[in-house]
Amino acid sequence: MAITFRVRQRPSDPRGSASVLDPWRNIDWSMISAIFALAIIGGFNIYSTTSPRLVLRGVDAFYFTQRQVIFLIAATFALFAVMFVGHDWLRGKAMWFYFPTTFSLLILWLWSYTSGDTKLSFDLGPIAVQPAELMKPVLVLVLAAWFAEAGVKSLPYDEFVRALVLAGIPFALVFFQPDLGSAMTLAAGVFGVLVIAGTQRRHFIGVTVLAAGTFAASIWSGLVRDYQLERFTALWNQNNTTDTSLQNLVLQVRYAKRAVAAGGYFGKGYMQGELTNGRFIPVQSTDFPFSAIGEQFGLVGCLVVIGLFAFVMFRIWIVGRNANSPFGRFIVAGVFTTLAWQVFQNIGMTIGITPVSGLPLPFISYGGSHLVAWAIMIGLVQSVEMRRSA
Amino acid sequence: MATDSQQRRWSRIGVFAITLLVLLLARIWFLQAVTKDETEQVIRNVQSRVVKLIPERGRIFDVNGRIVADNKRVLIAAIDRRIIADPQDRLEMFKRLSGPLNTPIERLYTRAEDKRYNELTEMPLAFDISEEQAAFLMERIEDYPGVAIKEEWRRIYPYGAIGSHVIGFLGAIQKDSAAYYKSLGYDPNERVGLYGVELTYEVDLRGVPGFVRYEVDAVGRIKSVLERVEPQAGNDIQLSIDFRLQQFAEQALETQLLVRQRNEAPKVMLPEGIPDPRYEEINYYKAPAGSIVVMNHNTGEVVAMASYPRFDARWFTANVDADKFAQVFPQTDDPDRSILVNRAVSGRYNLGSSFKPFVAYAALNSGQLPGGAGYEFDDRGTYKLESIPKDRCDQGVKCVFRNAICRATGAPCRYGKVDVEEALAVSSDTFFYKIGEQILTERGYQPVLETEIRRFGFGSPTNIDLPFEFAGTIPNAAYKKYLGSIGAIAEDEGRAYYVGDNVLFSIGQGLLSATPLQMANAYAAIANGGTVFEPRVVRAVLTPGTRNKSSGLADLPNASVARRISEETGKSVIPMRPDVREPLVSGLRRVITGPGVDFDYYHKTTGENLFRNYSGMPIAGKTGTAQGFNNLPWNDSSAFGAFSVDATQPYSAFAYLEKAGYGAVAAAPVVKCMFLALGKQWRVDDLVPADPLDVASNLPAMSTRLRNPLCLVSSSLDARD
Repeated sequence: MAITFRVRQRPSDPRGSASVLDPWRNIDWSMISAIFALAIIGGFNIYSTTSPRLVLRGVDAFYFTQRQVIFLIAATFALFAVMFVGHDWLRGKAMWFYFPTTFSLLILWLWSYTSGDTKLSFDLGPIAVQPAELMKPVLVLVLAAWFAEAGVKSLPYDEFVRALVLAGIPFALVFFQPDLGSAMTLAAGVFGVLVIAGTQRRHFIGVTVLAAGTFAASIWSGLVRDYQLERFTALWNQNNTTDTSLQNLVLQVRYAKRAVAAGGYFGKGYMQGELTNGRFIPVQSTDFPFSAIGEQFGLVGCLVVIGLFAFVMFRIWIVGRNANSPFGRFIVAGVFTTLAWQVFQNIGMTIGITPVSGLPLPFISYGGSHLVAWAIMIGLVQSVEMRRSA
Repeated sequence: MATDSQQRRWSRIGVFAITLLVLLLARIWFLQAVTKDETEQVIRNVQSRVVKLIPERGRIFDVNGRIVADNKRVLIAAIDRRIIADPQDRLEMFKRLSGPLNTPIERLYTRAEDKRYNELTEMPLAFDISEEQAAFLMERIEDYPGVAIKEEWRRIYPYGAIGSHVIGFLGAIQKDSAAYYKSLGYDPNERVGLYGVELTYEVDLRGVPGFVRYEVDAVGRIKSVLERVEPQAGNDIQLSIDFRLQQFAEQALETQLLVRQRNEAPKVMLPEGIPDPRYEEINYYKAPAGSIVVMNHNTGEVVAMASYPRFDARWFTANVDADKFAQVFPQTDDPDRSILVNRAVSGRYNLGSSFKPFVAYAALNSGQLPGGAGYEFDDRGTYKLESIPKDRCDQGVKCVFRNAICRATGAPCRYGKVDVEEALAVSSDTFFYKIGEQILTERGYQPVLETEIRRFGFGSPTNIDLPFEFAGTIPNAAYKKYLGSIGAIAEDEGRAYYVGDNVLFSIGQGLLSATPLQMANAYAAIANGGTVFEPRVVRAVLTPGTRNKSSGLADLPNASVARRISEETGKSVIPMRPDVREPLVSGLRRVITGPGVDFDYYHKTTGENLFRNYSGMPIAGKTGTAQGFNNLPWNDSSAFGAFSVDATQPYSAFAYLEKAGYGAVAAAPVVKCMFLALGKQWRVDDLVPADPLDVASNLPAMSTRLRNPLCLVSSSLDARD
């Protein structure tokens, strides 16, 4: 399918190519612009949420904002690197990424299991790497490659089971970490790939029942820590002020919700949020950035942010629909559902409709691992779009 | 390129995503558009916290400006009880706090359970921590959530036990006064005066609390001050008490009681003059308690007011636990041993002969004695009631009343013809028995004696500015009926007021009772010619912030007076004609100076021996011995009232020593020492700040003695009342 109106001579292209097949002519710049808009909003938001705390301690107010800019630059490199090497090249190396990432999750799980603490990241000097974040693109890539290999219209049973095992191992490791938020997001990615790969309905029902059963069994057997359960309990007890064990969780959500509500239609204005400036919301820059957006920019700001996410999803959806290879389609599907779910879960916990889980809001939250992970996923999507005509 | 099935699948996940986004938008719209206003209201409430600022309590100075109750600013570490609600958290937090606060974990646990601290308020962790400790905790407040450092005022009493019955002490608001203090705007956990001047002038001393309204964050940390209203310190108070003399009074009282405890009481004699075999063992005086009041009789101000046993008010700020406190201040039903009682205003005392001057006044003022001061009565040692028929006497009604036994004869003393002056000088009982009978029988059984006595304030509170004042009792028909109804006396006894009751009344025995303060005040009325004051221990209420002249001394000359108490002091003027007053005063003068009367042989006056070498200001006085349980000698309580007849040194005093013997040997020496000290003829110790309270001991107060007790000694004992 030729898209003739895009054809343009680019004599300055270093590779000297002027072909319509040149992938660099097919970049979806609108998607990338929207993502950078989100990232810039995120940067300003991080400054507004972290500077009051830093000022209080007499530390440089830009500390976290500067770090986020550095993460963003690193993520941009990752984005273009993935776009450059392309998803087809990565297809053959998928397992190279899968095994180390799974292994590092295993180490973290063992670490958490033996020490009794929950450890979600490796501290590497100035940065902390969170393997669960990196697992998201890796799992999408591996599953897409697996199903593309099968290459049939409707997925046969044995292939389905094998894929399930492949996805199940890292899922279980993250789940028992325990990091329910990330596990749910991984599951969302798997769900996207499965839907587009054409899973039969009975298989689908089977896996859902299996997941529910596992979840119930793990609660019953005590493998899920109490505090993880409390997050669910807290969701139904948001107005409970007497149970001290729920206090912190309930309080967190209550203040986050109040911050959003206080924003009204137009918000209090940048750096004018009382609850944000008052440091009322714990881990606001990483887990509850949306509360700051809601308080400072109101309904208008929320609509802009959600609109940008919707636009990015729409562009991804278009890429997926137009992708000409099953592998590309599966990748895009996985990224699409992962993004939709993660945005829903993070904003949802801020406004009190999903359980609290330490999950970042894509492109907006403070943190390097999730930015890089999302850069890789967007890079994969762009790569699919770029090499559509190949 | 997209097949139909592909299209369908993409539509499905598209719908999935749209559903999620719509859910979010609906909820956000609800929060921001619908609940905004109500949320803002909630935020405003949560964000500010009001902390009451307790004002500095007014200080208390003695008459010369010595600071006798002061305040010290202390830092207190407290913790929000919610933080330590969970036993595991509590252990963890106490472990962490134990080091920095230098307090054992066990102590923190006992304090957490301590009933003294309201469950609804923060739990105090440590009192009086150092600035460094406070800074340590505040810098690490993230590690010590819920811990707060508060500034508080601690009351300090630099002179320990001296004057503590007058100054009083502070404590938690008691149940019965909770409503009252609440109506005045007190916090339930505020400390208020529970005793002494601290109680009666509580409202003056307290000041006006201020408050700070803080903006706080989620953890309760203070972000900024929204509003601050400074507290206003309480009014300072200048007592009329001179603490050097107060110390001297306490020393003299305690020294004399200890001396009396080493004295053997006389044997109980049978009428035949031989020792009663039932009481063969040697009995020492118990002398457990006593009190002395010194007043300025021209102003009604109290100069010194001592009560023994004493206590150190610092026990109430020492933060000792309930058990320790019960060891120091044991609960007791024995009135001899109660400590937290100011006997000068609360003592319910029989008065004995020290009451006779007022009976003499009653007789003279009501015209009972034919010829007034010139009236003479032939005292032959006994008095037989004239109003009771002989057959009634034979049936067992007590008709014959005797004088005290004279040692020379072993029989009731006989004084011959005595007038009022001489009757007072030698303390002739029969003279007063006669008054007691005839003032009733010759006046149509009207309560003439009671009416005259009440003029001096007996039987009703003096309204001194100290709490828990006892009104005293006066024997009359109504009181007897009351005593009969509660079973204190036999119902038969309580049925009527008899002549015998009035006879006992006339020598200060029987159902009459009064406080030492009432007695001092009544003597003062004779001294000043008929003015009965409402006595005061406070001279002035000063505006807050009196400066210090030097350490421990307030700059009184430059203090500004808010209220001068003397201007509010009530007084009543009672009739006191010269022909009534003069025989009283000269009779009381003769008690001190002699001479006595000659009948058979020379009878000394009751004070003659004691005051033989007395060189102090001229005084007049009267001894008294109040009979106690079973009339046993060792239960005799000793009383002595006196006043200066020097117009430039207008002092009156009354002392009462429980179960300490005759008036002349126990109470009178204390008063004598006091007048020597008032006239600067006896060494009075300088006032020095007390040693720190020894919390290891169980003594309510450290003992204090006269450095030179020789003023207590008389040349020979005078075994008569």
